[in-house]
Amino acid sequence: MSADLPNDIVLIAELPGHEDRAWHVAWNPTKPILASCSSDKTVRLYGYADKFTFLTSIPTGHTKTVRAIAWAPSGNTLATASFDSNVGIWEREDGDEWECVSLLEGHETECKSVGYSSTGTLLASCSRDKSVWVWEVQPDADFECLGVIMEHSQDVKCVAWHPTEEILASGSYDDTIKLYVDDPEDDWFCCTTLTGHKSTVWALAWSPEGQYLASGSDDKTVRVWKRTGKVEFKQVLVLEGHERPVYSVSWGKGKGVGVGAGRLASAGSDGIIRVWELVEKSDDGLLEHRMIAKLEYAHDVYDLNAIVWCPRAGFEDMLATAGDDGVCKVWRITPR
Amino acid sequence: MTFSGALTLTDLNDFIGPSQTCIKPVEQTNFISGAEKDAGAAATEIRVDSSGSYYEVSADGLSSLRNNSSSGTKLEQAEVNLNDCLACSGCITSAESVLITLQSHIEVLKVLESNPSSEFCDSRKTPVISIAPQSLASLAASLSDSSSTHLRVSPRQVLRRLRRFCKDVLGFAYVFDTTFARHLALREHVTEFVERQEKHRNKNSMGDGHETADRCLPMLASACPGWICYAEKAHSEMLPFIAQTKSPQQIMGTLVKNWMGSKWGKLPHEIYHVSVMPCYDKKLEASRSDFYNEVYSTRDVDCVITTGELELILREKGWDLSKSISGELDMPSVSLVPDPNNVSEDTLPELINHPGSSSGSYLQEIISHVVKTSEMPLVLSVRQMRNSDYEEYILRTEAVDNTGQVIFKGAKCYGFRNLQNVVRKVGKEKGVHVGTGATGRLGDVATSRRIKRGAGSNDAKERPYDYVEVMACPGGCVNGGGQLKAPSTIIKDTDDEGYTRSWSDAGVEIQNARWGSKEWTRKVEEVYWEESSPSEGTNGALGWAPVETRCTGPVVNVPDELIKRVLLEANDVARNLFRTQYRAIENEVVGLAVKW
Repeated sequence: MSADLPNDIVLIAELPGHEDRAWHVAWNPTKPILASCSSDKTVRLYGYADKFTFLTSIPTGHTKTVRAIAWAPSGNTLATASFDSNVGIWEREDGDEWECVSLLEGHETECKSVGYSSTGTLLASCSRDKSVWVWEVQPDADFECLGVIMEHSQDVKCVAWHPTEEILASGSYDDTIKLYVDDPEDDWFCCTTLTGHKSTVWALAWSPEGQYLASGSDDKTVRVWKRTGKVEFKQVLVLEGHERPVYSVSWGKGKGVGVGAGRLASAGSDGIIRVWELVEKSDDGLLEHRMIAKLEYAHDVYDLNAIVWCPRAGFEDMLATAGDDGVCKVWRITPR
Repeated sequence: MTFSGALTLTDLNDFIGPSQTCIKPVEQTNFISGAEKDAGAAATEIRVDSSGSYYEVSADGLSSLRNNSSSGTKLEQAEVNLNDCLACSGCITSAESVLITLQSHIEVLKVLESNPSSEFCDSRKTPVISIAPQSLASLAASLSDSSSTHLRVSPRQVLRRLRRFCKDVLGFAYVFDTTFARHLALREHVTEFVERQEKHRNKNSMGDGHETADRCLPMLASACPGWICYAEKAHSEMLPFIAQTKSPQQIMGTLVKNWMGSKWGKLPHEIYHVSVMPCYDKKLEASRSDFYNEVYSTRDVDCVITTGELELILREKGWDLSKSISGELDMPSVSLVPDPNNVSEDTLPELINHPGSSSGSYLQEIISHVVKTSEMPLVLSVRQMRNSDYEEYILRTEAVDNTGQVIFKGAKCYGFRNLQNVVRKVGKEKGVHVGTGATGRLGDVATSRRIKRGAGSNDAKERPYDYVEVMACPGGCVNGGGQLKAPSTIIKDTDDEGYTRSWSDAGVEIQNARWGSKEWTRKVEEVYWEESSPSEGTNGALGWAPVETRCTGPVVNVPDELIKRVLLEANDVARNLFRTQYRAIENEVVGLAVKW
């Protein structure tokens, strides 16, 4: 814990249980549930009120690692992205059982990431096969493929939907970030490519209002891109200081934080959690940043694979992390 | 390396892409020399010289000196041939990106040049070339000036000019178009559809055969090799639904090598048959073992070149296709009383127009058949689904407001994305497992639930498809990967306001060149329909004939006599002549243990 920073990162729950490395965590947007996934092919669900309690483990049936998970905005549906190339769609049936209600096949190789659009009507996935797929969510757990976009020249690591509009971003091993929109006359297409990172783009996070996009990279930087037009973006910030690749970024509103662009958290191979407060400067459009908290050895000596802010009202100061130790941890940012 | 010059991967959008998991190029046979080293001490390097050859050299410079040759051992270049591609589960389709050595225009020229010109030479092969109508349309469009109507060149003119070129310059003995073969394919397609319908109808009384009977409908089109390859590699559960009717190219192959050959007194291997196609995957199709004649060690189609490769040949030989030749506007002169002992360009009808789609009119042919054989008058309604590449065609009995009973439901579905949805839809309706088989239990859960849900709905709207015209390319065959690319004037380099990448300084690149070829595809489509007279009611630009004419049946006038003769004279049964088969290719586990 860095003594000179104004906030502490306090551990409030340690959630072991995965038998292999934990890859990703996802907060249910409407219910007090936290989900995690792992190379052990399971998804674990935890409830929280006063404290975190284990709810259930879903043996997904995926034949390989479950690499990423995403909740639908309704909080009723969970999507799993697996190295077996498929996306599973899960809903809670009568009783306590989570059942796979649909399976999205099409990727040729490992699926790396999955995400629902803000309204929950669209779902995107990406894969080592270099493609990004966009699906329309239809009634009765049905899905229609709207687009197969082959724009990246390498493995696509992550997808992220804009928080309010139907704009999709993806990051890739080709070091670029691409943005996609729907042409009402035609197909989903890549409208913009953001270059600047010197290595793989591992993670993307939109700011809560959607005017910024943050990217974490193997080049040990986090970059922030400001939206300057419908599909125009400009790099406005480079956050350096990571000792190793950045695997995950998350952008939260922050709790009890004044007017600003919110709080950005990063995590990665150096095992350190970093939190910045970002303030928009109205005069030159630049983003003012200051690190407000930092924690080393968050998962002992292990890499951090994911860091995610809780989006639910009243819990915006909570962060969850997933590590190579197979453990998920929940943290709170508290003023010193 | 004989990469065909026309092989490029640019401007592909929604085409089925090549895979990363093609393991072929890294396979290398290791010859272990007499002086064995310790297993762990393999200290060699691979060096590439200026000519691009690979050499294996010892990592410590000394041993290579001792070797007498400082250049080390020249390594064998890994080659991928089409048979490897067909057998490998890696790529979905690789025709665009692999080294196609045996199926290139260079190969065609090589064979023609080494072919003895004397008819009396025993080793002479009779060279025959068959050209697809979509290729003719692509070439015609490239010659036509859209701003002027006098400068339009029709596919028929192009065919005549190419015939002259192929005979006079290249030495081909016969130059055909493939529409007569397509005519036979369409007939066979309808026959197969009727057979499947029968089986489907009888499925309840069949008991044990129930499951196979349930795999009869919908019938899925079989002419697109991209779709066939994809289904075999990624969706084997779709194979029972795919028509077994051969594609026009392969029917032409059978006609040329067997029927025509017998007329010419030539055995199959004494004919060299080249086809010109709008599609790279047709090369893969021709290479399938099903179309290889083991007795004579020859293929029904020896070599497939694309429209682009034919244009390369024209360019290399300095032939100007824009120059007209005498008689190019004459009407075709199919002999009324053909010489029963010979076959030539005069024997086969030229450029038969099949109203419907520019991808072969398969759906239209089935619709026409259903309408023609229906006891009640039927009404056709067409519904565009998400885009113009996905449309549903529904035939109902006559009633107010389209409330009649649904007799037939078909669809045309082009492009990889739409294809996904058809595969999902058919899989769901039929309760067959969709996908690669990598899912295990998960897939079963999902499938059983899909069946559960599907069971309740018997609504007419939910009637499953009877037929789907599936094509892998967006826009269909006129937009095939082997077609000529849009001339540069049509592709925009700047956005609508004329700006060029103003954000590039900030590391941002605005992309605006997408679908620059859409205009172009529309033009090729237009030219494709130019041969049809207005009275036939085909509207090329829209792709489909108006409803009234669609329901009145085909307008093509192909002498039944000729077809009878072909069937009678071809010394084989129709099933083998015009049908083929498919097999699932198992997806091998990817060797690389991906850890990230």
